[in-house]
Amino acid sequence: MQSPELSQDYFELFGLNPVFDIDPTSLHAAQQRLQANHHPDRYVGSSEQDKRLSVQIASRVNQAYETLRDPVKRSRYLLEINGATLPDDSATTADTEFLMEQIELREAVEACRQGEDALARSEAIETRLKQRATELAQEFVERFDGGRFDEAIEASRKMQFVQRIQQQLDELQFELEDF
Amino acid sequence: MALLQISEPGESSAPHQRRLAAGIDLGTTNSLVASVRSGEAICLPDERGRSLLPSVVHYDGNQVLVGHEARSLQAVDPLNTIASVKRLMGRGQEDVKRLANVVPHEFVATEASTVPRIRTAGGDFSAVEISGEILKILAQRAAHSLGGDLEGVVITVPAYFDDAQRQATRDAARFAGLNLFRLLNEPTAAAVAYGLDQDADGLIAVYDLGGGTFDISILRLNKGVFEVLATGGDSSLGGDDMDHALGEWIIEQAGFSDIDAVLARKILIAARNAKEQLSNGDSALISIDHAQPWQAEIGRAQFSDLIEPLVRKTLSACRRALRDAGIDKQEIAEVVMVGGSTRVPLVQTMVGDFFGRKPMCELDPDQVVALGAAIQADILAGNKPDSDMLLLDVLPLSLGIETMGGLCEKIIERNTAIPVARAQEFTTFKDGQTAMSIHVVQGERELVSDCRSLARFDLRGFPPMVAGAARIRVTYQVDADGLMSVTAEETTSGVAADIVVKPSYGLTDTEIETMLRASMEHAREDIEARMLKEQQVEARRVLEAVDAALLQDGEALLNESELTAIQLKRSELEKGLESASADELKQLIKSVEQVSETYVARRMNASVKQALAGKQIDEVDV
Repeated sequence: MQSPELSQDYFELFGLNPVFDIDPTSLHAAQQRLQANHHPDRYVGSSEQDKRLSVQIASRVNQAYETLRDPVKRSRYLLEINGATLPDDSATTADTEFLMEQIELREAVEACRQGEDALARSEAIETRLKQRATELAQEFVERFDGGRFDEAIEASRKMQFVQRIQQQLDELQFELEDF
Repeated sequence: MALLQISEPGESSAPHQRRLAAGIDLGTTNSLVASVRSGEAICLPDERGRSLLPSVVHYDGNQVLVGHEARSLQAVDPLNTIASVKRLMGRGQEDVKRLANVVPHEFVATEASTVPRIRTAGGDFSAVEISGEILKILAQRAAHSLGGDLEGVVITVPAYFDDAQRQATRDAARFAGLNLFRLLNEPTAAAVAYGLDQDADGLIAVYDLGGGTFDISILRLNKGVFEVLATGGDSSLGGDDMDHALGEWIIEQAGFSDIDAVLARKILIAARNAKEQLSNGDSALISIDHAQPWQAEIGRAQFSDLIEPLVRKTLSACRRALRDAGIDKQEIAEVVMVGGSTRVPLVQTMVGDFFGRKPMCELDPDQVVALGAAIQADILAGNKPDSDMLLLDVLPLSLGIETMGGLCEKIIERNTAIPVARAQEFTTFKDGQTAMSIHVVQGERELVSDCRSLARFDLRGFPPMVAGAARIRVTYQVDADGLMSVTAEETTSGVAADIVVKPSYGLTDTEIETMLRASMEHAREDIEARMLKEQQVEARRVLEAVDAALLQDGEALLNESELTAIQLKRSELEKGLESASADELKQLIKSVEQVSETYVARRMNASVKQALAGKQIDEVDV
C-alpha cells in the first residue's frame, strides 16, 4: 500500500530543509525519534496490518537515514528530487585533469602496500582525500544552488570517485594494522 | 493501538494485567530461560535449582531426554545423543560433511529436503527439531515457574547469524509451539542486561565468545536507545575450538590412534574439564580412561599457547567492527564480556590489552544474555508502557543477488540499520516472458560461490509482453529479526508475482507443517484449534484498533460513505468472532483491512508529523 506519508521525500520525512549542508545531529535525532514511535518493537501486540505497516515505515526511515547521512548519496538524492536525470553508476567524467589525479591517487594507495612507513604514507593520502572531498562538496553546493544541475551532477560524480578511493584506503589501512 | 494510537506505544487492552513473557538464550553448550519478576530479571532454575540446561538432546526410541540426563549419556551413547546442535542450525548437507571429524553422527540426506537430518534410534531429526526440544523444556520450566502459559518469548541469536540460521531458529520456536516476539542479538541482549543505558551515554563494545560462536558488536547508547553501529564475528569459532585444540594436543602427546566415537568424546570431555580448571588454577591434570590409559599435567601457559591463535582471530574481527563503525578503539567507554569462554584468563588479558581498559565481567557471563532477553520480552509483552528502551539493530552480512558470470551484486550492505527494504527494477528479455528467477546470497565476497546461498525465488505470473516492456519491481525486505523476504510486482500492470521460495538450507513451509503434525498427538484437532484461537486473537486486535481509531478521529478523517463502509465490515467481523472458522475469520479480517487502507494511510501521515512535532515541543521545554 502506498500511503501519502511513504511518498514524502526523505528531507520532509525528517523535517529537514532540502539542502546539501544538513546538521548530522538533527538528522540522527529525527531518525531516532521516528524509530521510537514506529519501530516494529512498538507493535508486537498489534494487528498484523499494523505490524506490516510499522515494518514499512521503519524501513523507509532507515533507508532515508542511510541516504541522507552519506554525502554522495545525499547529493544524488537532492538532484533526483529536483528532477535532474542522473547517469547510471558506470558513467565517467570528461575532466581529464581530474582523472589523472584519481589514477595517481589510486596508484599511491596501492604503493602503500610496499616499503617502509606504509601507515604514515597512507595517512598523508588520507589528508589529501579529505581536503578534496571538502572542495568538491563546496563545488556541488555552489552549482546546485545556482541551478546548474549538469555541472552539479559532475561534482557529485567526482565526489563518488574520491569516496571510492577513500574506501580502498580504509581497507588498506585495516590490513596494515591487522596482525 | 499501534499505528492507530501512535502516542501510546506498547499499550495493551488490559494495562494492569501482567503478561507472561520470557527470554531464552539458546546456546551451543548450555541454554537458559529468564523472566522479569518484581521488576528484576532473573534466570529461572529447574526443580533442582539449576539454571543452566545443557543443550544436549538424547533420542532412544521411546523418549526424548533433554539437558543433564542427556549429557550424562553422551559418552556411553554418542550416536543417539546430540550436543552443540546450534552449530548445525541453517546448515546444509555440504556443511555437515565438513563437520564429519567433529561430530560423531550419521547424517541422512533426502531428495525432498535440503536440510540434513541426524539418524538416531528414535528417528531422523533436523537441527530445528532438536533445538525445538530444548525450547520446549525451557518454556515448560518458565510456564511452571511463572504459573501460566507464556504470551511470548524473545530468543537470542549470535549477531553474526546469517538469514538461514535465523530462519532455523524461528522455525524451532514454531516447532516448540512458542509465540516468538523477537529474535534478539546476543551482544545487544548483554548490553541491555548490564543496564548501561541507565548510567551513561556513549560507545560500548560487547565481546561475546560462546561455545561455538564469536560476536563483537559496537553500540551507541543514548537515552535508552541501544543503537548497534557495527557487528562482526565468526559463526563457527568458540570455546569448543579451544577444546579441540587441546584435544589434538592430547592425541599427539598420548599417541592415540584408531580413535572411535567413544574415545573422541572422552578426549573432548577431558579437554573441556582441563580448560575449566585452568580458568582458576595454574595447572590441570588430564586423565583418559581407555584401553590405553593416559595421564598428564598441563600448565596454564602451555594451554594459552595452544589457544592464542584463536583469540587473535577474535581481535581481528574486533578491529574490523570498529572500522565499520567508523570509530577508534580509544573512544570505547566500556567493554562488556559475554559467554562462558570469556572466563578463560588469556581471553580477558588479550581483550583488555586490545581495548586498553579492563573489561566488565560483573554479571555471570553465562546468564547475561538470557537476562537481557527477559527484559526485552517484558517490554515487548507490554508490561512496561513507560519504558523508552529501544533496540535498533543492523544487518550482519550483506545481501546480494547472483548476476551474470556468477558474480554477486550487493543489494543491502552489511551494518545497514534494520528493518530495511530495497527495491530493484528488472525487465524481460524474451517476448511473452512471464517468469524469472532470483538467487539471493549473503556475504561480503565478489563471487556467488564464495557467499552463502540463501534461497532461489521463482517469480511467476507476469502478464506476457514484448521483450523489455515489462517493469518488474522486486522488493527485498529485511525485518527487525534480520529475516529476509522478497515480493515482486510488474509495475505497468500492477500484477503481483506468485513467488515460490526454495530455501538453500532451510525447511520449506510444508516441511514445517509436516513436522508440527508429527509432533502432536492429536495433530489435526490441535492445529486447527490453535489456528482458530490465533485468528480470534487477531480479530479482537483488529476490532479494538478500529474502534479506538474511529473514536479518536474517524469523523475528522473520513467522509460519511467511507465511515459507513468501515463500520459495515467491522460489524461483520464482530459477528463472526464466535462462530466463524479460522479461514472465514481470516477473510473477514482481510476485508476490514482492505476497506480501511486509505484511512490507515491518512492516520500514518498524521502520526509521523505528530512524532516530529511532539519532540520539537519537548525540546522547547528542556
